[in-house]
Amino acid sequence: MNLTSYLALAAILFCIGLYGVITKRNAVMVLFSIELMLNAVNINLVAFAKYGMVPNISGQVFTLFTIAIAAAEAAVGIAILLALYRNKGTAEADKYNSMKG
Amino acid sequence: MQITTLVLMVLLPTLLGFLIILLGREGLSKKATCLIGVITTGITLIGSLILFGKSFILSEVLPKWNFTWIELNQKPIQFGFELQPLNVLMLIIVSTVSFLVHLYSYGYMKGDERFSVFYSYLALFTFSMLGLVISPNLLQIYIFWELVGVCSFLLVGFWYFKTEAKRAAKKAFIVTRIGDIGFFIAISLVFKEIGSFELKDLQIAIEQGSISSGMITLIAILLFVGAIGKSGQFPLHTWLPDAMEGPTPVSALIHAATMVAAGVFLVANTFWLFEAAPIALDVVAYVGGFTAIFAATIGIAQTDIKRILAYSTVSQLGYMMLALGSVGYIAGVFHLMTHAFFKALLFLAAGAVMIIFHHEQDIRKMGGLWKKNRVLTGLFLVGCLAITGIPPFSGFFSKDEILLAVYQDGRIGLLIVAIIAAFFTAFYMFRLFFTVFTGNTKQKGELGKVPRAMTFPMIVLALLSIVAGLVEVPTNSLSSWLMKGLAKPITTHESSIFIPVIAVLVSLLGMGLAYLIYGSKRISAKRITGTIPWLHQLLVRKYYIDELYRYLVIIPLKGIGWLLQIFDRVIIGGLVRLGGGIMQILGRMGTALQNGQAQTYALISVFGFVILIVSLLAGRILK
Amino acid sequence: MTALNQWLPTLITFSPLLGIIILLFIPREKERVHRSIGILATLPPLVLSVWMYNSFNQKLVGFQMKQSFDWIRLFDDAKISYSMGVDGISMPLTLLTCVISTLAVIASLYIRRRTKQYYMLFLLLQTGMLGVFLSSTFFLFFIFFEITLVAAFFLIGIWGYLEKERAANLFLIYNGIGSAFMLIAMIGLFLSTKTWEYHDMQERLVMWLNLAEQPVLLWVIFICLFIAFAIKLPIFPFHSWMLRTHVEAPTPVVMVHSGILLKMGAYGLMRFGVGMFPDYMKEMTWILIALGLINIIYGAILAFVQKELKRVLAYSSVSHMGIILLGIASLNQIGLKGALFQAISHGLISALLFYIVGSLYERTKTTELAMLGGLARRMPILSGLLLVAGLALLGLPGLSGFISEFLAFLGLFQVQPIFAAVGTIGLILAAAYTLRAVLKTTFGPMRESFQGLRDIRLNESIPMLILVGLITLIGVYPKIVDDSIQLTLYQMVLRIGG
Repeated sequence: MNLTSYLALAAILFCIGLYGVITKRNAVMVLFSIELMLNAVNINLVAFAKYGMVPNISGQVFTLFTIAIAAAEAAVGIAILLALYRNKGTAEADKYNSMKG
Repeated sequence: MQITTLVLMVLLPTLLGFLIILLGREGLSKKATCLIGVITTGITLIGSLILFGKSFILSEVLPKWNFTWIELNQKPIQFGFELQPLNVLMLIIVSTVSFLVHLYSYGYMKGDERFSVFYSYLALFTFSMLGLVISPNLLQIYIFWELVGVCSFLLVGFWYFKTEAKRAAKKAFIVTRIGDIGFFIAISLVFKEIGSFELKDLQIAIEQGSISSGMITLIAILLFVGAIGKSGQFPLHTWLPDAMEGPTPVSALIHAATMVAAGVFLVANTFWLFEAAPIALDVVAYVGGFTAIFAATIGIAQTDIKRILAYSTVSQLGYMMLALGSVGYIAGVFHLMTHAFFKALLFLAAGAVMIIFHHEQDIRKMGGLWKKNRVLTGLFLVGCLAITGIPPFSGFFSKDEILLAVYQDGRIGLLIVAIIAAFFTAFYMFRLFFTVFTGNTKQKGELGKVPRAMTFPMIVLALLSIVAGLVEVPTNSLSSWLMKGLAKPITTHESSIFIPVIAVLVSLLGMGLAYLIYGSKRISAKRITGTIPWLHQLLVRKYYIDELYRYLVIIPLKGIGWLLQIFDRVIIGGLVRLGGGIMQILGRMGTALQNGQAQTYALISVFGFVILIVSLLAGRILK
Repeated sequence: MTALNQWLPTLITFSPLLGIIILLFIPREKERVHRSIGILATLPPLVLSVWMYNSFNQKLVGFQMKQSFDWIRLFDDAKISYSMGVDGISMPLTLLTCVISTLAVIASLYIRRRTKQYYMLFLLLQTGMLGVFLSSTFFLFFIFFEITLVAAFFLIGIWGYLEKERAANLFLIYNGIGSAFMLIAMIGLFLSTKTWEYHDMQERLVMWLNLAEQPVLLWVIFICLFIAFAIKLPIFPFHSWMLRTHVEAPTPVVMVHSGILLKMGAYGLMRFGVGMFPDYMKEMTWILIALGLINIIYGAILAFVQKELKRVLAYSSVSHMGIILLGIASLNQIGLKGALFQAISHGLISALLFYIVGSLYERTKTTELAMLGGLARRMPILSGLLLVAGLALLGLPGLSGFISEFLAFLGLFQVQPIFAAVGTIGLILAAAYTLRAVLKTTFGPMRESFQGLRDIRLNESIPMLILVGLITLIGVYPKIVDDSIQLTLYQMVLRIGG
């Protein structure tokens, strides 16, 4: 196993996530997609920690941080979403356009 | 007494008088105001008489005095005074006439509510005029030149509520300003050439030949342009007759005796400059000669008493210029002096006539004054005889000098013009005299009375008009005195017998004709105007000069103004609006992107990111 | 004494801020208190600047009373220092600023809305203006320049007349563009000279020019600077913002605006244009003369056909700024002196005129020329003052307008007599438009509706009388200003020559 295949996996995962963020109309799905992207980053970090030029443990430490923060982010994100849903009565992302210039 | 003290005694009282009257406007009674004016000008008169005595009788050479006003190019620009005979003579003329006019105005302006304002203006004018005539350098002359101009403006527009007065004041200021610009350019050129404004330095530079003759001619002509504006010479004469909208004492002081003569004074004071530039002398002579006859012909068709006198002033100033242009320095200055006295007399008398006829100015509505007021008639007659040049009145001597100078200068054409102008002068003056004083009274009702305060100054002026000729004839003392002020003497004129004889004959002819038409009414004036109506109309409308200026200058200027206004609004404003518009369009395009869809933003940023990466990679590969 | 003198420029500049701090603690409704504090707060700078004038050494070259310490360290040895000082050019302009600010605050008696903010902003504006003239580094200059912009924007936009918002917008846009150009020039200058100090900048620029390295860059910098100050002055065709500002801004702000803010353009042109790029100015002479002539004649002709009093004055400002430009274009001592005199004298005269027109408006409620007339009957004092101001504007000797115009033209006559002669047409036109406007207002028959008008009260006329006094003082005895500017200008001209 070499670095490239991990990176390829991470890239694919990231792109799927990105695609989801951009195209999904349901805001919950957008949040999920963001989780996917974060996980893609995690894979990268771990892969570099193991097979990088200077393998060391800090990559894995970062991953743990990311997972923790991702959990927190998901919690906040869902909370905002709930508040929005109560306010606007919809979970569709393209209905949230009050930032229009 | 120190000379400086004397000069301050001449200058300061009027300035103080101005300030006192201006600040004490509310508190001072009319009598007190007048008293301040008369006392201050009286002190001035005494001071200038002492100076005159020192210079004329004791033949002292009076020193100069300077102080630094500002520094230019590390060199001080100075102010001070200069007391050559010419300056002293002008001092005498100005302070005498001003003193008398201050006195006269007490009677004339008595009923006016802005009495004190009038006196303060008069005082300011007197101060400026005195400052003008003792200036040792061009800059100082220019400064006081403008100040007398503005006083003239203020006094012409004294009755500000009259539309005509407003218009006349504006015209007086702007038209003379055109001339002043010539003066301004002349000073600037002098400074460019010699780095100084002093007349002395200029004189030295000319003697040493350090200025090219072309430049001398240019400077001289430009100075003369200033004189044209101020002395009402053709083609800038139009303001002077209109300036008669001012109170009559003002017309006597400013627009007859002193300020309008400032142009003549300027040319006389820089006479060596003109002598060094023959072309400039030609210009002076021809403009003067033309103005003399031009204004005289207009004078015969006017019906407003003050306007007739105004055109006569223009014509007489033309005479003085003609004299100076014909190297008749003495003749020009001499006539300046005599004219100051008799024209002031005529104006003051005209003012008295207007008081009697309740401020009527149209001579056709006057008549028969002889029976009502013998003294006034006598005074007016003295003025008329003096201006007509009948011996032994002063005008005869000075006019004779002028004709002689022209004759000896060899311009026979101009001599003929001058003699014809003398004929017209006699004609219009006696037309005025006969119309106003003989015949029957045409006005109904009680006629006004002339206050004593007005009569006294007129008597003094009448005496001066009679005897002023004696300073020159037969002793030649004026000319020898004035010569002392000149660097190099001017050849005096051989007297000749036939010229004065011709001049007097021509004048008598004019008087006789006036008598036949207006005195005894043997010849009907209507018949004459009936045979040549177009000529009469031409003269009445003053050769349509005003209309010409209106169509040639004012309307085009306004037209350009409106065009530029449109340009400013449409083109400049349009460019601004275009710039703003483009920015707005760009802004709208920007807001279209800002549609509030977070996912679109993300998509756009992804695209941007991709472009960035690709370009970075491409850059690396291409390297 | 000298130690204290060093602090003078700083003290003068920031002393109005004291007033702002006090105003912060005053309740909003106490309008009279605001006014008194506003007036009082402008007095310390006035007193201090008079003191500065007295202790100013006329024989010293360059900046004096200089206060300087490091402020921001950038990289290597390059730093931004806080540095203030005064020299012959900034001295009279500082005095002018203090005088006009005080008088303008006194003249603010018609401001009746939101007075607390008004006086705070006004004092901020004063600090900005003083800083512009007293700073001796480009960086500080720029900061203070921007402060004036912001303060003036709000003052115009909140307290102006009918179309105040538009006027304020136009003001901000134009000046913002000018500032942008100045910013570019500033950074360019810093990068090429590695200093902000005027004096060091001058020295290093001279070296640069002699080496003739990268002339294109320097040209770009110069043009940027020129445009920045051309907008401020304003030079044709950048004048349209100024017209609107003059018409719409409240009276005290117009007094300050046309009295001082416009003069910052002249100051900038002299300080940066003539002071730092003398050779480029020399090469630009023709353009300067052409622009100056256009300004003079264009402004004058347009002033002649305006139907509204303030517009006449606004266009006359365009015309008079042309005279400044001509004076600068002559690039000799007399011309520059004329330009500086013109900046000062026009500052005083236009402040006076706009104040008079402002109090006229308070009475007649109109400034349309066709609606005015014959006011001399009801308001002799105001009319008299208007006449005096008008005469000063058209350059009557004995008043300050003459000396400045005379010197500017005299300077140009030394180098370009023909063009100077063309420019003098502007003087005739000046007489024509000024008299037209003044006489239409005060002379002639009076309208019935003005029957009940009252003449100005004493407290209104005090600023006017002070201004008339100053105008006369400078006109009669110009040495009072001349002595302090003499040496600086001489130094400046030496640099042009050599």
